[in-house]
Amino acid sequence: MSEPVVAVWLGAGSPLRTIRWVDGALAAAAKFGNATAIAAGDQTWLDLAADRANRAGLPSVGIATDLRLDYLGWAQIVAAAARQLKATTVLVDEASRPERFPEVAAIAEQLDAVQLTHVVAIAPDGAIVHASRIANRDLQTVRVRGPAVIGVRIAGAPVDEYPTPMPSASMRRLDLPALGLDPLVLGHRALPPRSSPQTKKSLDRIAEHLLVHRIVRGGG
Amino acid sequence: MAAVLVHIDLDGDRPNPSSLVALAAGRHVASSWGATLYAAVIAHDASSKASPDSTAQVVSTTHVPGIEAIENALAHGGADKVVVAMTDAPIAPLWAAIGTAWQGIVDHLRPRLVLFGADSPSATELAPRTGARIGARLLMRARTLGGDDVELRDRDGGYVRASDSGAAVALIGRADPIEASDEDIDLVVLALPGGVDARVELAGTSPAEVAHTRGAIVALGDDVVNDAKIVADAKRLATQLGAQLIGGAAAARVLQAGAVVDRTTPLAPDLCIAVGNAQLDLAGATSFIKIGGPGGKTVDGALAGDVGTGLAQLVKRLEEP
Repeated sequence: MSEPVVAVWLGAGSPLRTIRWVDGALAAAAKFGNATAIAAGDQTWLDLAADRANRAGLPSVGIATDLRLDYLGWAQIVAAAARQLKATTVLVDEASRPERFPEVAAIAEQLDAVQLTHVVAIAPDGAIVHASRIANRDLQTVRVRGPAVIGVRIAGAPVDEYPTPMPSASMRRLDLPALGLDPLVLGHRALPPRSSPQTKKSLDRIAEHLLVHRIVRGGG
Repeated sequence: MAAVLVHIDLDGDRPNPSSLVALAAGRHVASSWGATLYAAVIAHDASSKASPDSTAQVVSTTHVPGIEAIENALAHGGADKVVVAMTDAPIAPLWAAIGTAWQGIVDHLRPRLVLFGADSPSATELAPRTGARIGARLLMRARTLGGDDVELRDRDGGYVRASDSGAAVALIGRADPIEASDEDIDLVVLALPGGVDARVELAGTSPAEVAHTRGAIVALGDDVVNDAKIVADAKRLATQLGAQLIGGAAAARVLQAGAVVDRTTPLAPDLCIAVGNAQLDLAGATSFIKIGGPGGKTVDGALAGDVGTGLAQLVKRLEEP
């Protein structure tokens, strides 16, 4: 079995709060030796993704689109890009934005690959990937063989500020038709337009926010 | 009649409490929509007879040890029917271990709505893949709303209603209790082909570090660690949320070993509540609530004003039944 060809999906929007989880995902992919970063979305984000990939020593692919899709919509795009790159293993930065996590399983389903989520450490070893993942309060050690989609939550070094990226000439551009995808068909997975969420400020609204996290003991 | 399917994780020989919350949500939805509510359990049976190239086979119920207690709990929890999938794969909360068996159940029932307990062990592995496989919309940490026309809603504005077309998958964080039922219910046992996906091998398990917590954390700021009432309330809040209590070096004496972090420790829990001026380096995926501090662009909720008062009120609210 040959060594994996890797794609790392950085997502369809700039990371929230910090860039360090993007850097961590790129560093994890760089361990494989043959890896390419994939990003989609608006030009500002693509320039930033290309810049961080370049700093990690990875080539990058960008898919410019203004679509706003759900987890299955983006998974179709990532799977098509991974096929184009002949990638056998896809890493997904699942820490930078909340909507990214379910994309791991959806990409795996599209590629008929093994899925592994919540991975906090990864080490390629020829055709095998050794991974440590969080399962509730346990750390599981797992060995993976063959095509896999791996959701990573691996942080890079702390980054307080980073330079505004310049438009990238190194990023390879792909469009949806070149990936064999029809934007109109993908539109069936579009998210309905929603206003930006406002910070909750009342006791009632914050309690409501937390109640879906309250644990249940011993019965419903 | 449409099917609502609830995945039930087991804690030993009992249904997981979070799975029972999902079952309660399923009961509300199924009653409102006129659907049948199925509760599905995956059980290990090394002698499972199905051949790898066959589809699910209905078999006798006599080979499921301990099923009576589980069946009673699920009947009490509102299920109309219980499905037990027997697999020769060892049960572990990984798609690679139980995904084949689970998919057999989904293919057998073809449900319109699939529910998981948001905090049940298998939910994060099974739910998104189930959604992807059946082309469903996905709701994370949803709750039930409404009286006669029950719907599911998550805090991002996603919803599932009776009038919707297409399938949906939801992880349930909260549901109103149901009236207990003791009716006899049907039990179906399926022998499912295929077992563990050999491409993934679980090599070992050890306790995770606090910095790797995936669930919830409550973080104490240095400005509140000497206030015994606030520390006590923060611990009560952590208990309500099943959260790890963390803080900086100044909080070390009130924290468990390994729970001290600094301002550059990378943290990526699902939820973080900062009490006071806790300095944290949180991932973008984390839902962030501040108590006693101003809000901001990446803060989901902020309770301004006195830390102790706000925290005490919040704990009191969460401790209400």
